[in-house]
Amino acid sequence: MEKRLIKKEALAGIVGELAGRMRVYAPMQAEDQVLFRILEAGEKPLTDFFNTKNAPKNFLFPRTEALMRFTRTGKGMVRSDEQQAAGDKQEQSLLFGVRPCDARSFALLDMLFDQEKYKDPYYIDKRAKTTVVAMACVHPPYTTCFCTSVGGNPTDSAGADILLTDLGEAYLAEFLTPKGEALLSAFGGSPAGEAEAKQKEALAAKAAAEIASRIPAKEVKPILDTHFEDSFWNTLHQKCLACGTCTYLCPTCHCFDISDEVKGSAGTRIRNWDSCMFPLFTKETSGHNPRPSQKERWRQRVMHKFRYYPDNFQAIACVGCGRCVMACPVNLDIRKVVTDIAKL
Amino acid sequence: MQNPYIPAPVELIKVVTEVDTKDIKTFRFAFQNKEDETAFQYLPGQFAELSLFGKGESPIGIASSPTQPGYLEFTVQRAGVVTQALHDLEVGAVMGIRGPLGNSWPIDYLAGKNIVIVGGGFAFTTLRSLINYMIDEKNRSRFGKITVIYGARNPGLLIYKDELETWGKRDDINLNVTVDKGDAGWKGREGFVPTVCKEVAPSSENAVTVICGPPIMIRFTLPVFFELGFSKENIITSLEMRMKCGIGKCGRCNVGEKYVCKDGPVFSLAELDKLTKEY
Repeated sequence: MEKRLIKKEALAGIVGELAGRMRVYAPMQAEDQVLFRILEAGEKPLTDFFNTKNAPKNFLFPRTEALMRFTRTGKGMVRSDEQQAAGDKQEQSLLFGVRPCDARSFALLDMLFDQEKYKDPYYIDKRAKTTVVAMACVHPPYTTCFCTSVGGNPTDSAGADILLTDLGEAYLAEFLTPKGEALLSAFGGSPAGEAEAKQKEALAAKAAAEIASRIPAKEVKPILDTHFEDSFWNTLHQKCLACGTCTYLCPTCHCFDISDEVKGSAGTRIRNWDSCMFPLFTKETSGHNPRPSQKERWRQRVMHKFRYYPDNFQAIACVGCGRCVMACPVNLDIRKVVTDIAKL
Repeated sequence: MQNPYIPAPVELIKVVTEVDTKDIKTFRFAFQNKEDETAFQYLPGQFAELSLFGKGESPIGIASSPTQPGYLEFTVQRAGVVTQALHDLEVGAVMGIRGPLGNSWPIDYLAGKNIVIVGGGFAFTTLRSLINYMIDEKNRSRFGKITVIYGARNPGLLIYKDELETWGKRDDINLNVTVDKGDAGWKGREGFVPTVCKEVAPSSENAVTVICGPPIMIRFTLPVFFELGFSKENIITSLEMRMKCGIGKCGRCNVGEKYVCKDGPVFSLAELDKLTKEY
C-alpha cells in the first residue's frame, strides 16, 4: 500500500482540480447543512466538517434511478434501450470526504448488491467507477456516533479506496486499492513512512476512545433470535409517525420499489428508495398485509439490521453514524432500543 | 454482466378463460428470441415476473411444465393494475417475462417417492406444472404413486377442466376432484378438501405431500396429514408475499432471514417452523 503525506492547505485544491477531469461529489455548505454535491472544476470542497446530513449511498444507489426505457408500438409497449446495457451510463467519479462509517456502508451494500447469484448491475457499475476518498474522524464529530459498537471505528478504511487522516500539519493519505492508486499522481504529496504510521496509530486509539456512546449491538443477536414474539415490540413503535426519515438517511437501508412511468408514447421503469416503515411496503393486492401495523414494521427494521443481516452476511447492517437518532422527529433512538433488547 | 431486471420479450399466443366468473385466465407465451427461450431453464414450482411496460410487474407461478417446450403458461386472477392490464391483452400482444425466479418443488427429493398433491381454488397452478412434469413419459417412472386431491368452491371455479378430464382417464394418477357445493350438472364429489383428504387417506409410507391453497384450507388439511403420519419434512408448500425485484434485493418479501423470492417460495413445514410467523 502506498502512503503519502499531503499538505493540509493543498488538499482542497487537489480535489477541485480533479473536478475538471471527472465527476467529483464532495461535502459543501448548503445553508446550515453540509451536503454532498457535484463540484465545479476548480471549486474547493469542505475539508473541515462534521458529517453530511445525507448518507452518500445516493451516489451508488440513487433515490430514483432509471432501470430501462420503453416505447409504444402497435403490439404494446416494448423496450427501447436494447442497444444500451441498461439505465443511464455511469462516468468515472470521485466521492470525496466520506466519513469511515459511511464508507463502511458501501462494504455492507456490496454484500447485498454484489452477491454470487444475483448481481445488481446498476449498483456494481457505479461502485466500480467511483473512487471513494474517506476522511478519518480524528475527533468523532457527534455524541450520537457509535461506530465502534457495530464493527467500525472512526479511522476505519473499510469500503474506501483512499483514506485520509489528519495528522495536524498534513494528511496521511493511504492508497488502499488499485482504484485509489490510480490517483497517486493527482494527489502528489511526499512519501510517508514508519513515523507517520505510528502517529496515525496513536490518533486512531484516541479517536476510538472518544466515542462515548456504546451499545450491545453484537450481543443482541441471540436475544433477537428467540424474541420475535415478545411484549417488548408491543409498545416500542407507539410514538413512531411512520415518516421513514430513519430509513432514508440510513447509509445501509437499501429497500426499493420498482414502478413504471409513462408520458405519451414513451416510458421509463424506475426504482425509488422505499421504506419498511411504510404500511404499503408489504401490502398485497388481496388486501392482506403480513406486517399490518407499525409494531411489525419496527420489529422488521430492528431484526433486519441486527439479526437477519448477520444471519445472511455475518455483518450488522448499521454503521453507527447516528443519523436516524438525530433526525427522528419523535426521538426514537436505535441505541436505546438495542440497549433495551439486551436486557430482555 | 447479465442484467436480472431486464425481461425477455414474449408474445401472447393463447388465452383460456378458466372459470365462470371470467376473472381467472391462463396465458400462453412464446419467447420472441430463441436465446431467451434456451436461457429460461425452469422447474415446477418456480415463478416469473410478468412484465407489462407502463403498468409494472407481477410475480406469478409458472403453470406450464418444462416438459412442454416452446411456450410458458401462467394462470392469473384479475386483481390489481398489472393483472387487469394482462387480462385486457389480446393474442398477438407483446410483453416481457423475467425469470425463472425462486427455488422449485424439490424434484430430486420427490423422486422415488409416492406423491400426494393437494390443491385448493386457483392455487393449483404450480401443482399442475408438477403433475404434468411427473406424468411426462420420460419422468413417470421416477415417481411412485401419484394421488391428486383438488377442490374448488363450486364446479364453475375449477381450473384446467380439460386436463382434469384427461388425468381422470389415466390409471397412473389417483385423481380426486371435489367442490364445496355442486350444481345441477355436477356429478362429482362434494366436500371440503380436508374431508376428502381424510376419505382418500393416502399412506404416509415413503410419501411426500405437496399442498397449495388458501390459508383456511391449509389450516384444516395439515392435521389430517399429521394424523396420516406425514412428518413435517414431508409436507411441502409454497408461500406468497408482495414482491418487486424477485432477486432478494428490494427487501419486502422476507420471512425472518429468508427471502421468499429467492430462498423460497417453496418450503417444507419443517423449514417454515424455523422461520418467524410473518406471512
